[in-house]
Amino acid sequence: MSSILTRDELALALGRAGEGDRAAFRRVYEATSAKLLGVTLRILADRQLAEDVLQDTYLTVWRKAGSFDASRASPITWLVTIARNRAIDRLRSGASTRRSTTIDDAFEVADDGPSPAQALETGDDIRRLNDCLGQLDDRTGGAIRTAFIEGATYDALASRENVPLGTMKSWIRRGLLRLRACLES
Amino acid sequence: MTDPTDTEGLDEDRALAGELALRVLSPAEEAAARAREAADPAFAAEVETWNEQLAGLADGVAPVAPSPYVWPRIESGLPPVAANDNRRLAFWRAWAVGSTGLLAASLAAVVVLMAQPSPVPPAPAPAAPVAVTRVATLTLENGAAAMTIAYDPASGELYLAPTDKMAGDTRVPHLWLVMPEGGVQLVGAIDGSATSRHNLGRALSGKAGQANAVAVSMEAPGHTPAADKPDGPVVASGQLQRL
Repeated sequence: MSSILTRDELALALGRAGEGDRAAFRRVYEATSAKLLGVTLRILADRQLAEDVLQDTYLTVWRKAGSFDASRASPITWLVTIARNRAIDRLRSGASTRRSTTIDDAFEVADDGPSPAQALETGDDIRRLNDCLGQLDDRTGGAIRTAFIEGATYDALASRENVPLGTMKSWIRRGLLRLRACLES
Repeated sequence: MTDPTDTEGLDEDRALAGELALRVLSPAEEAAARAREAADPAFAAEVETWNEQLAGLADGVAPVAPSPYVWPRIESGLPPVAANDNRRLAFWRAWAVGSTGLLAASLAAVVVLMAQPSPVPPAPAPAAPVAVTRVATLTLENGAAAMTIAYDPASGELYLAPTDKMAGDTRVPHLWLVMPEGGVQLVGAIDGSATSRHNLGRALSGKAGQANAVAVSMEAPGHTPAADKPDGPVVASGQLQRL
């Protein structure tokens, strides 16, 4: 179902979609929808909601593709950011009440292992991010990862780790700044 | 607001941008940060950088193939486009193909909706508008018709009938009055995807009664040009005629 496009091919297809080319838009969908559904499903833990959000995401992508700038962002990053933000918006809108039936399915299909088959991002970028995350202490790196993958807020992370809110904030803020310094070094 | 354990303002901004990108803030904090993002380009760029750098974390999420019905749903949510599914400008360039019937139908609707007997010649004073309905067919550079409008000076009501194909353009169409003494006057952004009705305010209504032509420019999303000068290209125009 999903086809593999290189970053340049994906950027090109996205650019064409921005000019109204539906065939190119379809190629973007084929190449990225499984990844984006993984992202939305991990946050929403409900397949139907996650697919609803996926649908919204691609309609947004269609409308905004014209503003995608390949010189400033990688295409998969741009797409993941839209999908993730949409899923989190839905999660926090309170509309995500039907998560009971499929939560197990969701976690069965989603794991933290790398997924080389879908490595649309360059391997170097990912390796670097992982290296830099690895330099943080485990709980900080873990909290940042959980915040990203599950869309958890400071509040949720603090109660999960059973630490005061201020402590969690301090971990993540310091962690983010160290991560950034490492990525830019 | 500043966490005393953290460093200077630069780091403070950078951390806040990271928190916003990561979506860890409370709803109130997030709303404040979003407002900042909208008003402060440097901060917005910082958020974008964070998005770029954090998105690699999604590599740890396993892909899941969507159900087969998802794509058809997306496709059915797309605006209809011209048969030759190519470029953004396809609408403007190739509009004429197959659109004559549509335009005729639009024009017929305009006539039915707007026509009223009105033997009085138009007076220039906005205070005394007369009921002569104006219509214009806006055409592209190549002569193909793009949109029909009708304007009733008595009620100030403006009726626009674009084709459904205009929605394929990511820019936002803006309607302009072309004044007899030269110069243009912005009416406003218009819906390029569906017929719409507007009621012009008194000031504009008077000008619309005097205008001898209308034009459409395509402006960048979110951008409002000055009232007397389009910033985007003028893609269509047409003479206003009395019905």
